[in-house]
Amino acid sequence: MKAEYINSIYQAAQDVFKIMLDVGTQKDDVITHEVTDDGANITIKLQGDLSGTILFSFPKETALEVVKIMSGMEMDKLDSFIISALSEVVNIICGNAATNLQKYNKHVDITPPEVLEDPAPKAADNCELLPLKTDIGAVKLNIKLDENDK
Amino acid sequence: MMWKEKYKIGVELIDRQHEELFRRVSDFIGTVRSEVPWEEKLSKIKETLEFMKDYVITHFRDEEEYQAKINYPGLEKHKQIHDDFKAEVAEFVQLFEETGFDEDLVQRFSGKLLAWLINHVAGIDQKIGEFAKKQEVPHHES
Repeated sequence: MKAEYINSIYQAAQDVFKIMLDVGTQKDDVITHEVTDDGANITIKLQGDLSGTILFSFPKETALEVVKIMSGMEMDKLDSFIISALSEVVNIICGNAATNLQKYNKHVDITPPEVLEDPAPKAADNCELLPLKTDIGAVKLNIKLDENDK
Repeated sequence: MMWKEKYKIGVELIDRQHEELFRRVSDFIGTVRSEVPWEEKLSKIKETLEFMKDYVITHFRDEEEYQAKINYPGLEKHKQIHDDFKAEVAEFVQLFEETGFDEDLVQRFSGKLLAWLINHVAGIDQKIGEFAKKQEVPHHES
C-alpha cells in the first residue's frame, strides 16, 4: 500500500481531531493492540479507484472523551448516542481522506459507517495498522486498500 | 456543546444563526440525555425538533444566498452537503413518526447531529469566511 494513501488518511484524522476537538494527534510507535475489546470498532468501506476498508478502533476511554469534548457533558458508558456521534466523526474523517486522495488522482466513494458489534472483531488480513496517539488517548486504524485498474 | 468565538466566520447574520443553532442543539441534547423518564420529556423533544427543522432550512437558505452573493466557488458542493443533511433529517423524522419516537433512534440522531454540526460550523463553513476575507467583501450585514 502506498505511503501517500496512508498519509491521506492520517492527515484527515489529524485535521478532524484538531478542528472538531482541539486535540493534537501523532503517529504512535507503540503497537499494543489492533482492535479494542472494551470500546468501539467502526468500519467504513471505500469503493472506486481504491477499494477496501478502514477500521477505527477507539478504546473506551478515548471514545468517551471524544464525545465529552463535543457535547460538554460527562459520559460514562458507550451507549447508542456515543456510538452514533463517533460513527459520524469516522464518516467525516473518511470523507476528508477521500478528498485528500484526489490529489493522487484516486477517486473513491465511502459507504456509511458500520459498527462492529462483536466485542473482539478481527482486523482484515494483510491490513496496515496506523496507531495514533492523541491528547485524549489512543485510536487505532486498520487500513486495507487495494488499487483497482482504471 | 460549547460555542466558541473562533467559530465565527465574520458574517454577522451567519454567525448569529450558528450560535443560535449551537444553543438549540445543545438544549436538545441536554433534554435527550437527561435522567427524566422518556415519556415525560417527549413533548419537549418534539417541540425542539419542530423548531430546528424550520430554523435549519432558513439558515441553509441564508447561507447559500450569501455564498451566491460573494460568488463563492464552493457553493454547489456546499448546497449538496445541506441537501444531503436535510434528506437525512427527513428520513429520521419519518422513522420517529413510524416508531412513535423510539428512544434509541432519537439518541442515535442526537449523536450524529452533535458531530455533524460541529464539523460543519468549525470546519466546512470556515472556508466561506476565508474566501470572503480574500475577496474583501463587506462582512457586516444583517
